[in-house]
Amino acid sequence: MSWLRISLTAFAISAALPVHAQTLTITTAGGDYGNAMKEAMWGPAAKELGYDVREETQSDGLASLKMQVTSGAIATDIIHLGSPEGAQAAAQSLLEPLDYKIIDPKSVPEGAASDYCYPFDSYGTVLSWNTKTYGENPPKTWAEFWDVAKFPGRRALRANAQDSIEIALLSDGVAPADVYSVLSTPEGLERAINRLEAIKPDVAVWWTSGAQSAQLLKDGEADLVVTWNGRAETVKKDGGAADYTFKGSVIGTDCLGVPKGAPNKEAAMKLIAAMTQPARVAKLTDFIAYGPVNPAAYEGGLIPEDRLKTLATAPENAGTSVFSNSEWWVKNGEAAQQAFDEMMAR
Amino acid sequence: MTVTVDPALLADARRERRFFLSLSLPALFIVGLAAILPILWIIRQSFLTTGGEYTIGNYAKVLSSGLTWSALATTLELSLGTLAICILLGTPLALALASARPRVANLLMAFVMLPLWTAILVRTYGWLVLLRRDGLINAALTGSGLTAEHLPLVYNFTGTLIGMVHYMLPLFLLPVYAAMRDIDPNLVRASASMGATLGQVIRTVIMPLSAGGIFSGSVIVLIYSIGFFITPAVLGGGKVNPLSTRIERALSTFQDWGSASVLGILLLVLMALIGVMLLAARRLLAQNAVAASHA
Repeated sequence: MSWLRISLTAFAISAALPVHAQTLTITTAGGDYGNAMKEAMWGPAAKELGYDVREETQSDGLASLKMQVTSGAIATDIIHLGSPEGAQAAAQSLLEPLDYKIIDPKSVPEGAASDYCYPFDSYGTVLSWNTKTYGENPPKTWAEFWDVAKFPGRRALRANAQDSIEIALLSDGVAPADVYSVLSTPEGLERAINRLEAIKPDVAVWWTSGAQSAQLLKDGEADLVVTWNGRAETVKKDGGAADYTFKGSVIGTDCLGVPKGAPNKEAAMKLIAAMTQPARVAKLTDFIAYGPVNPAAYEGGLIPEDRLKTLATAPENAGTSVFSNSEWWVKNGEAAQQAFDEMMAR
Repeated sequence: MTVTVDPALLADARRERRFFLSLSLPALFIVGLAAILPILWIIRQSFLTTGGEYTIGNYAKVLSSGLTWSALATTLELSLGTLAICILLGTPLALALASARPRVANLLMAFVMLPLWTAILVRTYGWLVLLRRDGLINAALTGSGLTAEHLPLVYNFTGTLIGMVHYMLPLFLLPVYAAMRDIDPNLVRASASMGATLGQVIRTVIMPLSAGGIFSGSVIVLIYSIGFFITPAVLGGGKVNPLSTRIERALSTFQDWGSASVLGILLLVLMALIGVMLLAARRLLAQNAVAASHA
């Protein structure tokens, strides 16, 4: 009889204790970025929820996601992707729909919203210039970037339709909110391409990597460079004769998704909601200059004043910038790139 | 009269042949694994849609695109341009090397080979330092007053060609140098003693005898140049787009393995065509030489 009493007691005790911790796996890009996300975002969130979170790192998130889902061996519950990859993954049914009962839908501005991959931080494609060439009076809008009479100088753009056709339309007077509706018409795309063709004679370099764009800016090989804000900021900080503006930037985002058939779907949604709380995405900027997508992160002084200047989504830039529309690109990217490449070959 | 051969000897010969064949098996295996299988895979891929169904749509799409043909034209311009400059620069250099004293020749050869031992990316970025707007060459040109304006030396066709020639010249030089060094110096002496001028010696003795080396060098230059990617990507400034950059675009921007495979096959066909054409030209020349020597 005693063994029964003991086992019953043991059973009662184990029932009274919390069930063993929920285990989750998150896949990030690793490196400094991955560490920043751990320190600022999922580390504290996991502690709060009492989850036991394991981290995997993967440089090509989409490829690994596709492999996991198609093979049925899903090893991760949350995956960190660039929003364009997120949209591609969604189009290929590789992601679970986000549970907006758990995640606050109001935490994402309209232009950035996604049903499958939750955008949490951002970077901008910005206009940067050589301060030696232009001194106190640089071109600060895309219309001025295109004005080669008033601002002579060698331009450098990315050899890719992405972001280029958006800024081409902005330079032509299209309002930020209308960029994708204009681009969705054949005339609109043609208008953007013609605009790029008009500036082509003044484009010294069409760059193919972010590092290259920074080099062009730093060396003064080009006077006006379309580049990513992190690259422009690095050149500026390293003492290069360069500055940049977020006005009219095209904002790209990174997002969190849950693989189709992930083992701990609901816990994953909860962790996404917790790790992207305003204070946590604000904290991420302590480590890396990727601006929170959630506008609430900019309230209450969560982010120091002087850092706001380095963040694409800072409130003072709102209204002039455009969120890159990943779904548009998944649908129309090939046609847009084709038109862009044909323009380049002419 | 019939010769009877000892059947034991015949069996020995057969065994020996089999043994030598089996010695080449590991090499054949590697070639099969590293070259033939991937090519077969690419051929299969070129007939597949992204969904994995068989189609000829990829071919229709790639071959009907004007971009493919302009990329093909750029590829040919780059390769033939590189070859022309290699022949112009490399042949006299090989001649100088072959006629130099061995110690001088070895030293010069070391200089020629030096770039071969440097990684292509390092070399390509090295050219950027030299050729860019505020680079060493432009600084020297404008500083000395030779030119008033910076010359557009890089981020265009010129820069790409410079980078490609730099890479290919040693590879062209080696077979040409080898062929020229093998020429019997007595032939040169004989022709000179019969009153041939230097020009005549080069034209009638040295060039015909080193034609084989020049052909081999040309084949190497063309085959390599057709597939160049890094040099046009870095030094072309986005304006020089051969077939290799179209392949990269198809893969990295569109994840379109079908189109990329078709473009890859196009490159293979181009290489095969050039190989066949050069071989035919070589045979024709050889026949002419034989005919001439019999005349």
